Amino acid sequence: MLAKNKKSLIIFIILSLIGAAIYLFTLSDSFMYQRDIGKITHVSEGSSQRTEDEFKNVDHQHEQKITMIMLNGKQKGKKIHTHNSWSNSGAFDQKFHSGQQVFVDLQKQNGRTTAEISDYKRDTYLLMLGWVVISLLILTMEFKGLKTLFSVVLNFVVFLLFIELDVKLNLTNFFWLFVLSAFIFTALSLLIVIGWNKQCAVTFASIVIGTTGALMIGVLVLNYTGNDLHYEALDFATQSPKQLFLSATVIGLLGAVMDAATDIVSTVFEIKRSHPQIDQKQLFGSGIEVGRAILGPLINVLLLIFFAETFAMGVLFFRTGNSIGYTFEWTMSLGIVQSLISGIGITLVIPAASAFAAWAFRKEGQVENN
Amino acid sequence: MKTISILTVILAFLMVLVGGKQGFSAFFSVLINFLLLFLNIMLISSGFPPLWTSLFSGICILAITIYMGNSDEKSSNVAFLATLAVMVVMLLLIVPLDHLVQVKGFANEQSEEIEAFNLLVGVDFEKIAISTTILSTLGAIAEAAIAIASGLNEVIEQDPQITPLKLRKSGQNIGSQIMGMTFNTLFFGMFGGDLALFILLNKLHNSFGYYLNSKIFVSECMLVLYSAIAVILVIIVTTWLMSRKVRPQRSA
Repeated sequence: MLAKNKKSLIIFIILSLIGAAIYLFTLSDSFMYQRDIGKITHVSEGSSQRTEDEFKNVDHQHEQKITMIMLNGKQKGKKIHTHNSWSNSGAFDQKFHSGQQVFVDLQKQNGRTTAEISDYKRDTYLLMLGWVVISLLILTMEFKGLKTLFSVVLNFVVFLLFIELDVKLNLTNFFWLFVLSAFIFTALSLLIVIGWNKQCAVTFASIVIGTTGALMIGVLVLNYTGNDLHYEALDFATQSPKQLFLSATVIGLLGAVMDAATDIVSTVFEIKRSHPQIDQKQLFGSGIEVGRAILGPLINVLLLIFFAETFAMGVLFFRTGNSIGYTFEWTMSLGIVQSLISGIGITLVIPAASAFAAWAFRKEGQVENN
Repeated sequence: MKTISILTVILAFLMVLVGGKQGFSAFFSVLINFLLLFLNIMLISSGFPPLWTSLFSGICILAITIYMGNSDEKSSNVAFLATLAVMVVMLLLIVPLDHLVQVKGFANEQSEEIEAFNLLVGVDFEKIAISTTILSTLGAIAEAAIAIASGLNEVIEQDPQITPLKLRKSGQNIGSQIMGMTFNTLFFGMFGGDLALFILLNKLHNSFGYYLNSKIFVSECMLVLYSAIAVILVIIVTTWLMSRKVRPQRSA
């Protein structure tokens, strides 16, 4: 026990040191950037102005005079002056304080250098938050935590590879490319989290059934109703928006279906492990029971993810005098359809996973211990 | 609208078919949560304080998600308590960090969509960003808490004599797999939703340093990271609360 405590303490100290190192490094990593970075040394507040638009929205706009010292590039060490305007609402701007680091666009005009702040330096916070997640995983779950992390990172790399492939190949039916990626994601995640055994095969089979079923229902309904969805409302679309939407739906759906299937199958296997005498029917019942308990919560997860992302846009639509119906149609309906198709997938995977898991023990089979 | 209605009817039918009475109430929990979220946006738009409004709907959403989707009261209570505790911790983390990292409002990549709007609408977009973050993590922590609590409950039901230590072992076993999968749900849910954005960013050929600092990329990443932290915390808290529950039963 004492040795274990000592070991955790050492791990804790090492993690803290790494965290401090990342923090200090990102504060002074400007030499690694090609874009010019300046550190704000002095800010003086200028005039403020009250604005009111046609919808009686009152806001305030403020001017700032900013002095900064350049941290890299040709102008390194030089003092630069610029200004910034920010509003109370801050939809597309921000207030700056001294001590902050910013990316600067420098331009030479008639021998004088003018500067404009192009972006804010955020890498410190992103990396620190990533460090918190990794430390928590290592401290609480030890080896298993790292395995989980590995699975997510690997999936992300595969995801990026498929995006690269999509852009390079520029296929007309690129939807099938992302369907293929979905199969690979599923196989990879299950192999890493569960390992190569019966449990993995059972889970994989149920996921394929659930996802395919939901997607077929979704596509049938979409084709039946024709074009009453505004695919062009899809953000950032650079390819056929309908296929892009369907691809996003497949990937979004996959995680939740995988989650439901794994919860059910792992619980059934765990029960069989602690009670080898239990029969098939009881196992199926336990599987359905777990499925029913997570059905609502899991669909709610996706609803919350898809819906929360529309918050800022929804508020902007409402504040600028758009009707409820119009706002719903243009900012939320695609997310809702995505949640609905995912919900159908989650519902379909419950009987599939329970039946497969129970069927796996059809002749007094023993659980392989992994 | 026709698409949404037909899909809703199919979903309701399937949920009742598979889940019976529980499926029926689960369907209603999704419906009520949707209405709450919609009402939340409307209230914020009409001038209610964004953070307090979202916190209030957040607690309602947690209660509805947990109690209406799950019939077992013991595991529901544990899950609800655990999620409330984790939500408070997350608030303490998100509020200061979101202020520091400044990912509020809209990013350069979205300028085309918002160019038609006058952006000075008098609503604090930083508070809206915090609300978005809190609400999108809630689903994941509620789901993880219920999965652990009901999974452990099944184990207890099969073996009422189980010791707290054995239960915690089972908790770790189920917990680590559930965590892995919850991460995947979040990962695919969020990045799947951002598929179009990733394709666009890939076409723009930006440097690695650009990603580490861009508003849209950082904010999406932080959403995933916050959710990951919340899920880890809720698994620890739920397992701990469940193992406390079996102790009095044994001594009785």
